[in-house]
Amino acid sequence: MASEHQAPQSRAATAADPASDLAKQLEALRPQLLKYARLQLRNSAWAEDAVSETLLAAWERPQSFTAASQLKTWLIGILKHKLIDQIRRNCKEMSTTADDDADVLDELFDQTGHWIDAPQDWSDPEGVLNRIEFMRVLEACVEHLPGQQGRLFMMREWLELDTDEICKELGISSTNLWVMLHRARMRLRDCLQLNWFASPAPEQRRLR
Amino acid sequence: MFLKRNCKQVTRLVLEAEDRHLPWVERLAVRIHMHICATCPRFQQQVRLMREATQAWRHYSQES
Repeated sequence: MASEHQAPQSRAATAADPASDLAKQLEALRPQLLKYARLQLRNSAWAEDAVSETLLAAWERPQSFTAASQLKTWLIGILKHKLIDQIRRNCKEMSTTADDDADVLDELFDQTGHWIDAPQDWSDPEGVLNRIEFMRVLEACVEHLPGQQGRLFMMREWLELDTDEICKELGISSTNLWVMLHRARMRLRDCLQLNWFASPAPEQRRLR
Repeated sequence: MFLKRNCKQVTRLVLEAEDRHLPWVERLAVRIHMHICATCPRFQQQVRLMREATQAWRHYSQES
């Protein structure tokens, strides 16, 4: 019994203030959360709101984690809900622009529907999937997508929503969604071809 | 012929298959085209690599 009473006291004496510890950890992760919020919402004010709401929710219901990566995973889980809240709140202002409507497929094929430049072999001898430089290029390519294509791609691939949910949240038809997603995927492919596969970055660091 | 598609049509179908279940006629048409075309299988392989890359990126951005 005596030791049980003593344990919390000795921990309090040696450990740093847990509240200020959590505050520091949250502050350190804020830029990452903001980056993905911006990628999803394509609007700085909405992204700031989503991240503030996420940090507030984390602050109000703190949980203890042994590793920093666990804290990040937990925060990302909260952020996903807050991003969907923002999408619901602002969906009327999420619309396509001229860039979204341009069909990149038209530029890649001739009149008869044949490739103008044949696709390059992207076989994976250097293990690009484990390369941090490749992940950064991919992220930059997602950022480079036109606004609505970027939002839809992120909803599908980063929030992992199914197509029916996306159509419901944004009030668009499934045909419209498929068109926007295939354009987004084609642009990504072109961007990766140009910025990676044409001249891959020298290897510096592997992910795992 | 009702199963004949050109490269542009097949490219679009390959991309759309990432987000919707293609009707069987379209799936068959894509498969036939892949047998007779030297170029489109390479595009299909690019799409497959992008799928894996996106998954790896999601993991990298959310869990590491």
